[in-house]
Amino acid sequence: MSPTPAEPLLELEAVSRVYGEEVLVFALRDVSLQILPGDFMSIVGPSGSGKSTMLGLLGCLDLPTDGTVRIGGEDVSSLDDATRSRLRGDSIGFVFQQFHLIPHLSALGNVETALLYRHIRPAERRARAYAALDELGLGARAHHRPVQMSGGEQQRVALARAIVTEPLMILADEPTGALDSENSAHVLEIFDGLESPERAVVMVTHDPAVADTARRKVSMRDGRIVADERPQVAVS
Amino acid sequence: MSAFRDLLGVAWTGLTARKVRTLLIMLGPIVGVAAMVGAVGLTESAKGDLKAKLAVLGTNLIIAQAGGTFGSQNPTFPDDAVHRAEAVSTVTSAAATAELASVVALPSQGGSDYYQAFPVPVRAADLTLPSVLEVPVINGRWLTESDIKLHTRSIVLGAGLAKQYAFLPGETRTIKLNDTDYGVVGVLGSVALDPDLDNAVFITQWAAEHDFATDGKPNKLYVRSVTGRTQETADAIPTAINLGGPDQVSTKVPSDVLQASAQADKTLQQTALFAGLLALSVGGLGIANVMSISVIQRSSEIGIRRAVGHSRSKIASQFLLESLFVGILGGLAGAALGVGIVYLVSSVAHWVVVVAYSRIPIWMTLALIVSVGAGLYPSIKAARLEPLETLRLG
Ligand SMILES: Nc1ncnc2c1ncn2[C@@H]1O[C@H](COP(=O)(O)OP(=O)(O)OP(=O)(O)O)[C@@H](O)[C@H]1O
Ligand SMILES: [Mg+2]
Repeated sequence: MSPTPAEPLLELEAVSRVYGEEVLVFALRDVSLQILPGDFMSIVGPSGSGKSTMLGLLGCLDLPTDGTVRIGGEDVSSLDDATRSRLRGDSIGFVFQQFHLIPHLSALGNVETALLYRHIRPAERRARAYAALDELGLGARAHHRPVQMSGGEQQRVALARAIVTEPLMILADEPTGALDSENSAHVLEIFDGLESPERAVVMVTHDPAVADTARRKVSMRDGRIVADERPQVAVS
Repeated sequence: MSAFRDLLGVAWTGLTARKVRTLLIMLGPIVGVAAMVGAVGLTESAKGDLKAKLAVLGTNLIIAQAGGTFGSQNPTFPDDAVHRAEAVSTVTSAAATAELASVVALPSQGGSDYYQAFPVPVRAADLTLPSVLEVPVINGRWLTESDIKLHTRSIVLGAGLAKQYAFLPGETRTIKLNDTDYGVVGVLGSVALDPDLDNAVFITQWAAEHDFATDGKPNKLYVRSVTGRTQETADAIPTAINLGGPDQVSTKVPSDVLQASAQADKTLQQTALFAGLLALSVGGLGIANVMSISVIQRSSEIGIRRAVGHSRSKIASQFLLESLFVGILGGLAGAALGVGIVYLVSSVAHWVVVVAYSRIPIWMTLALIVSVGAGLYPSIKAARLEPLETLRLG
């Protein structure tokens, strides 16, 4: 541990996100949040409270209508699309509730997608993708398409895709939301294994039990952060 | 460069993953290019035999005929007409013949009444005549220098005449010109550009002057010009020959008639070309339409790609490249199909195949432009999608 407080990987500063033109929907209102290396964070809150919206902003898939989003100290809104896309690809791995795999690609092809346009030779790209799948116990399924796999397997492919670039942040939006308890447990186990001093893991969840395993728990309501706690005891 | 290779791979996989759809949108460029290749190929091939004939005969032969002053009998050129014609810089060679109007040829015993009624034209010809006409001597030989030196009475038959007399190769045959016997030494091949020569017999200038007391003045000139300058050469020849004198010289380019009939039916060709163009544009609309739908269907793929770091321009390039592949492959397949059709129809119709290979790249480029143009709007649409919105829904 360094003696000085670590630089935040990600920072929201008085961020608002308003949808619509005539009827305005305030999905996020004046939210500030810092995500530090080593964070293992859960985000909870009722439906419509702005969790997914915040995750989209954290992953710079979206831009704020007000306020500043910084990744590694850089104001995301000031970057052009190519730079922002590269930044996103380099530093963030996404996992979604509905897996979001590309249906016409094999498991391997889906994981490789995250390594495209990065000046990596195809053989190396393939090897790295395969290694990521293998790490999650899917080596044998590398050439299967999403439809040929169970939900749990598909979500693990998505996880492999998120970690293959070795990002500093993993953002997951209800990653177990579409899984049965057994598969959920398996996926959560993988998330636990992702914890590291350099990396931050952020997970939106509806499951209080899951939320309580996190070291840091952010609660939202009506587009605002209403609590940002660090429970002392993690249930193991 | 490696990013471009990645892009190629992505676009290619996108196309091959939906083979039927890909094939369907390729139909536009395929049908368009095939129609254009076929249209031109078939209309040209229908005249292919004439074209092939023209290619052999050449289009640069000029025939100059002495017209004389108005009303004069048996008009002739000056003695040195060949020389004068050759002075024209675009003339490559020239040979003269003189018609011996008063000489009656009797190819066989008896029948002299018949041959007086239907005389066989007798011509005194230059030694270079076959080479200027570019017609081979199909039997025996042509008149030579030694015929003149040794004063032999040699005669060469036109191809039509040889056939009519049933002349056999190697046969000794004598033909009476007025009362002098001439020995047949050869048969000149058929002269497609001046069929009159097929029914004539040819003797040397010496024989004409010696036996029939002609003045040796030619009345018909065969001239070859530099390729591509035939008409201006033909226009220059009358002046060159009579040097401003009162004699009339008429020239004609006999291949012109053949050339006109060898012209493909342009109206038909243009109609078919237009149909091909129409197929191509309709195909373009099809590509634009199907790709637009495809962009909506693939919106979650687009969102995923954005999420893993592909930029808007990469997304646009991916879809643009897919339409580029459609254009290239469709164009190639269309060209192959078109050429195949031309070969097939020509073989059934016994035509000489003519394929406008030099124009195929133009049509393929056209197909490519249409395809890429059609893919432009869907590609931009794909790039503009908001990733979060496409990922929110299942
Ligand atoms: N594109 C949009 N246009 C208009 N309103 C939107 C849009 N996206 C989200 N919203 C609104 O913003 C608010 C926050 O949505 P968000 O998806 O962030 O909620 P959430 O906390 O993730 O909910 P859930 O738990 O149901 O996933 C909601 O009221 C939603 O209706
Ligand atoms: Mg949500």
